[in-house]
Amino acid sequence: MAWWFSAAAKRERLAGKLSPGPLRDFVLAAVPAPETPVADLRLLAIDLETTGLDPASDRLLSVGFVEVDGDEVVVGSARHVVIRQDQEGSVGDSATIHGLTDDALGQGRSEQEAVTTTLAALAGRVLLAHHADVEVGFLSAACRRLWGAEPLFEVVDTMQLQYRLLSRERDTDPPRGALRLWGACDQYNLPRHAAHNALSDALSCAELYLAQVQQPGAGGTLKSLRP
Amino acid sequence: MDVELVEVADFLRRHAPFADLPGPLLNRLVQQSRIRYHRRGTVLYRHGEPNNSLHVVRSGGVDLNGADGVLVERVEPGGSFGTSSLLAQTASAVTVTAIEDTLVVVFPGDVVRQVAEDDATFAAHYTSTAQKRLQGANRHNLSRGGISMGREPSLSRTVESILGRAPVTASSEVSIQQAAATMSEHRVSALLLVDDDGHLEGIVTDRDLRSKVVAAGADTSAPVRTIMTADPVTTTPHTRAFEVLLEMTGRNFHHLPVVADGRPIGLVSSGDVMRLERSHPISLTSQINRQTTVAGVAEVARRIPGVVATYSDQHVSADEITRLLSTLADSLTRKLIALVEAEIGPAPQPWCWVAMGSQARHEQGLASDQDHAIITADTTDDDGWFAELAARVVDGLEACGQPRCAGDAMATNPRWRVSLAQWRRQFSQWIQQPGSEQVLHAQIFFDMRVVHGETSLLDDLRQAVVTQAAGNQRFLGHMAAMAVERTPPLGFFKGFVLEKGGEHADTFDIKAGGLHGVIELARVHALANGVVEVGTTDRLVAVAHVGGLSQEGAEELVEAFEFLSHVRLTHQAAQVRAGEGPDNHVRPDLLTGFEQRHLKEAFGVVSAAQKALAQRYQTHLMN
Repeated sequence: MAWWFSAAAKRERLAGKLSPGPLRDFVLAAVPAPETPVADLRLLAIDLETTGLDPASDRLLSVGFVEVDGDEVVVGSARHVVIRQDQEGSVGDSATIHGLTDDALGQGRSEQEAVTTTLAALAGRVLLAHHADVEVGFLSAACRRLWGAEPLFEVVDTMQLQYRLLSRERDTDPPRGALRLWGACDQYNLPRHAAHNALSDALSCAELYLAQVQQPGAGGTLKSLRP
Repeated sequence: MDVELVEVADFLRRHAPFADLPGPLLNRLVQQSRIRYHRRGTVLYRHGEPNNSLHVVRSGGVDLNGADGVLVERVEPGGSFGTSSLLAQTASAVTVTAIEDTLVVVFPGDVVRQVAEDDATFAAHYTSTAQKRLQGANRHNLSRGGISMGREPSLSRTVESILGRAPVTASSEVSIQQAAATMSEHRVSALLLVDDDGHLEGIVTDRDLRSKVVAAGADTSAPVRTIMTADPVTTTPHTRAFEVLLEMTGRNFHHLPVVADGRPIGLVSSGDVMRLERSHPISLTSQINRQTTVAGVAEVARRIPGVVATYSDQHVSADEITRLLSTLADSLTRKLIALVEAEIGPAPQPWCWVAMGSQARHEQGLASDQDHAIITADTTDDDGWFAELAARVVDGLEACGQPRCAGDAMATNPRWRVSLAQWRRQFSQWIQQPGSEQVLHAQIFFDMRVVHGETSLLDDLRQAVVTQAAGNQRFLGHMAAMAVERTPPLGFFKGFVLEKGGEHADTFDIKAGGLHGVIELARVHALANGVVEVGTTDRLVAVAHVGGLSQEGAEELVEAFEFLSHVRLTHQAAQVRAGEGPDNHVRPDLLTGFEQRHLKEAFGVVSAAQKALAQRYQTHLMN
């Protein structure tokens, strides 16, 4: 009976309802077990640029990701995919934050291609992101739009990890700013990247993760990294 | 597939030997690279263990220690390690330890060897390094073989052709103290240590004296060989200058001994080699001298900040750069004076043009304004000529990008354009009646250097001033009170104290709170001890020499001064590159953890020296 509630069982039931395609392939790929030691853990650091924070109404603009194998960032696996905006309307003022102009976005790839590429890279890996709710929310919404169902993601969130690492050392809440991506990177002497785009932020998130798992008390397995 | 991670590629491209690597080869390396993180204190791999990767420090730093535990090299961001064992396919000769939280980019050995096969320059960079480390022997052939890069004709000159005087050497058996004394005596920042047969055994540098002696509290009567870098990387007389340049920039070395038949025949410094480059600021001097109009001089002068900003990236010490800027300011002044003299005729009597403040101390930054004066031999009835000259030179310097002095300490001010006798009276008044306000305004007048004209006029004046000042406790007390007034921006809990609001919010003033602290300390100590030197470092060294400061205390201040100057120059160079006007307002959050820690140490040194001075002169009792 316990098996019925396991993550693997849930995935199989979901796969049974899906027609062959990128989402089904992703759902069927084996996900790292909770007991996987951090040294053997395979993750994909992802960052999304969007027009806003609401997955229901805001749009995906670009995806950046890079693989993390154990204690290494695999530089050659890095990808940056800009998504073509077919819908009406402009990205407008949000361009000042992500730097993607309407022109750049006009030459990108379709949302389906971008999400397919991302799911293929994420298959069998843990989704690693800073404040992962955004990445999970937008990828889920995109899957629902494209293929009518949402997959389950195995997630490690560097912001939550940072909160735990900082709270452990003191009684009060960590100072504002210490949990933001740059604030956290500074604490571990990590470099700041000149560019600010989905890929450079994904790289920073991956580097932050490498630093975090080496801190005392971070825990030694996938399970211990989750909230 | 192109490299998508431009951050990694861009970072590598800023450092030798990646800077000159063709795009496709760099991409191949980046594609295969990994990034790893090591906490401070972690050992990456040990002496005797295999290593099959090239490592480049991305942030933080590592120490390479030999089997005997002696520090072989400290690798800072942009520097690489692991090449010796990688290319020779031997066990590592060193133990690698992260000295702070460190991020490294790691390249697998196979790819590095492939790229080395395809690119001779890349290979030469590492094979020469590897062989030198492994054998430390004479390697004529390697340095001569198959390299045709030399874009700059002068950089393809051999080391031999740029060697200066014979190297300063000492026996490795002398004490640390004796070694330091020899270095001070010869004014060198590196000393070569030899055995009885004159064979090179090691090298010791200013940096070693700081990190292994002063910081570690080592016994200075111990033999210098206990702190020297044994079997240092060397070069040969026939090596080309550009190879030496790559070697030094890639490894963050400032000195490379030149060895023939095992014996040192010279020492090349990074400055020696860089001066060969056509774009080096020193070539600006000759361009200034070729100009025939003020507009032409100003045109050359406007390029100075950009060229210097580029150079501040390249492991040239802050001392070298401020010296260079001061020398360039001297050239500009001399050229402008010559142009004006050509128009209005020669001076009616002997005189000299005196630089004051930072230019006089050879410490000019990118944001220094004009400070100067004129000394004439006799009382000037014919002031008209000098007034005309001063007005034109000041205009010219302003056109060259040097703002007028806000306090009007310029030769255009009739008070500062007087005869030697009047200058003597002026200084006597400052020294005999040192009201705080008076001394405050007079400070930079104690830093004077002749740029043009009769040097003897200032020599006479300086000797008189130093003799009077040294015996006058009341005057020195006022100077001391000034020197301790502005304390470094360091808070009670060892954090930086930042401006709360306004244009410079979240910054601190590195000049007012740091550099000026050292400059004023050095000035008071120099005046108190009858020292005639003008440069801050020169003053501190000379004061220690006559016992006015402990050797250790002086060295700490010199190091602090160099580091603060470095931070200021880096800050100003970044502003120049960004098209902004350079200033002294540094944002600590833009510094690396390494820089922040050292900055706090430097401020701590200044603060302690100020307290000692306040104690000595009881400055709290002064009005």
